[in-house]
Amino acid sequence: MIVSKAFWKIVLKNIGSIILPTVILLMFGTISVTSVDSTAQYEARKPALVIFNHDENVGLTKNFIEYLEENATIKTGYEDDDRLKDALFYEEVTAVIEIPENFHQDMALGHDPEVKMRSSAGYVAELAKVAVRRYLSVAKGYSALHLSEQELVAKVDKAIANGVKTEMKAAVDTSKYAKASRYYSFANYTILSCFITIICLIMSAFNREQVRKRNLVGAIDIKKMNRILLRNCCIYVLAAWVFYVVISVFVLGVEVVFTAQGALYAVNSLVFAACATTIAYLISIFALSAGAVNGLQNVLALGTSFLCGAFVPAEYLPDSVLAFAHVLPSYYYIDANDKIMKIQQFDAATMVPILLEIAVVAGFCVLFVALANIISKKRQRIA
Amino acid sequence: MKNVIEVKHLTKSYKTNKAVDDLSLTVKEGEILGLLGPNGSGKTTTMNCILSLLKFDNGEINIFGKEMKPDAYDIKSKIGVVFQDVAVFDELTVYGNIDYFCGLYIEDKNTRAQYVEDALKLVGLEDNKSQYPKQLSGGLLRRLNIACGIAHKPKLIFLDEPTVAVDPQSRNNILEGIKKLRDDGATIIYTTHYMEEVEILCDRVIILDHGKIIASGTNDELKALAKIEEKVTIEVPELAPKQLSGFEKIKNVSEVVYDNGVLKIVYRKGKNNLIDMMEYLKANKIQYNKIFSERPTLNDVFLELTGKELRD
Repeated sequence: MIVSKAFWKIVLKNIGSIILPTVILLMFGTISVTSVDSTAQYEARKPALVIFNHDENVGLTKNFIEYLEENATIKTGYEDDDRLKDALFYEEVTAVIEIPENFHQDMALGHDPEVKMRSSAGYVAELAKVAVRRYLSVAKGYSALHLSEQELVAKVDKAIANGVKTEMKAAVDTSKYAKASRYYSFANYTILSCFITIICLIMSAFNREQVRKRNLVGAIDIKKMNRILLRNCCIYVLAAWVFYVVISVFVLGVEVVFTAQGALYAVNSLVFAACATTIAYLISIFALSAGAVNGLQNVLALGTSFLCGAFVPAEYLPDSVLAFAHVLPSYYYIDANDKIMKIQQFDAATMVPILLEIAVVAGFCVLFVALANIISKKRQRIA
Repeated sequence: MKNVIEVKHLTKSYKTNKAVDDLSLTVKEGEILGLLGPNGSGKTTTMNCILSLLKFDNGEINIFGKEMKPDAYDIKSKIGVVFQDVAVFDELTVYGNIDYFCGLYIEDKNTRAQYVEDALKLVGLEDNKSQYPKQLSGGLLRRLNIACGIAHKPKLIFLDEPTVAVDPQSRNNILEGIKKLRDDGATIIYTTHYMEEVEILCDRVIILDHGKIIASGTNDELKALAKIEEKVTIEVPELAPKQLSGFEKIKNVSEVVYDNGVLKIVYRKGKNNLIDMMEYLKANKIQYNKIFSERPTLNDVFLELTGKELRD
């Protein structure tokens, strides 16, 4: 009882550390929602594409470019890569498409040439991606029939003309969850900030050598005390998580939160909350001072948020940064949010990658707890 | 009186260094036992072993007639510990800290509230109870440290150098508080390297060096071990070499040092030492200002037994 009382007193003493990231999340969530374009605007706009064609402009390649010209606005003058990145960031350009050498011949032969694509964030980019994927999948399907290139172009033209409308509708549904994805991805910062700060400060206070010694000579079993602390940490984490989900109802609306996708976002964030708790537990073993905890919390919460795409979409991050981000649980959490946003139908193909990423985050939990136990035992031996 | 603590042949080593070497001691009910020794003599290690905070290599420790173990919570419930370093939560107030540490022993809210008030009164922190530790001065912080250790009214109290780096006012307050605890019936183990505190407080003293007991007894018993009777200090503005050598010939004088107008004379055991010295001053017409005479201290005893000062 007295341990729980001290726990919550310390939480209250540090309430400011929780309020700030929560207010930022609220502000970000609200701004994010009001800045998302409506469906009407979506339909009125065409994606702005930059095409780098490394093939001859004949046959299927020519047809592909004509198809893109029909469904998008083609932009030129972006040969400089830095300028192109800026254009993508500010959404002057929706996507960049690179048609590889021998594209038309390879397609006609039934091969699968890779059309590289970089895109900005938002529903317009999704529209562009869907349009490109649609054309390529249709072309690939007909190429298996070993038709002449002329026949292949005719078949693709016909199929595309019949199918575009369906894809347009699906793209609108995806944009509905873009705001949820942004909210929950930004929560990476809030969850890490709030959980690391509070749990580290509390556990560090109890793990401080002199206080620990005094607890050890007390008439209470130290294992029981640890169990009480763990139980209170879990209550705190669950309460904070529930609070963020409740906020999401007001920020995102019931039509987003009370859906299958909404539930997936919540589950993903719950697993990530557990992971943040284990990170905090690992750090707290070192019984750092309040200043050190705040410093470390900033580095971890802000650092992972930038590196893993919580603030800036992952598409704009350099490959080297993304490669490094793969070792961080935040990357899988944020990537899972993006994948949830793109779900158009619930089947194994869409669910397995998401569940795998949630499992990876859960795996990080196990890793951090194991590490914490090893370090803790080592430190006890040294003491 | 019953033995509250019985330690037999306690040995504790850190790699090749023996911190406690075959140490045996008993502490009787209601006494204040002083553990005196220089830094690194094994005082704190002995205390930590007794409290089961450290595993020891050999020996036996019984408290209140039962074997002391890390899970001996019935024994621990009667023990209070004040560590050398301040052990409090920075995030809790003075009252909150005492309440927390008292709560590790006392579950009943009302009893605890009364005990916390008593502890605040004992250490003189009634006016500071809503302050946080960082708002307290060093001395007040030490008082809080003591209050946290004794609030649950333990029967046995360990005090590990509680007055280190404390201002004189707080030191007096702390020493008075410790006397009151003894008067209320507590048995106290007091470790320190301040011999003056031991002389004021302790009924019995154990002097440790290199993890071994080198002497034990009451203050007077220990001082009787010293070969010197007294030390006399005289302010003498001028002294000729011949006059100085004359002091060495006075009966029972074992050592004479003259430096910067101050003459220090150490006497072996014997009687009428001061009278002989005064007669010598008069006979040789030596001008002097002030004369001080001191009895041997525990530091002198330690110096004679080990060849070094307590604070070395």
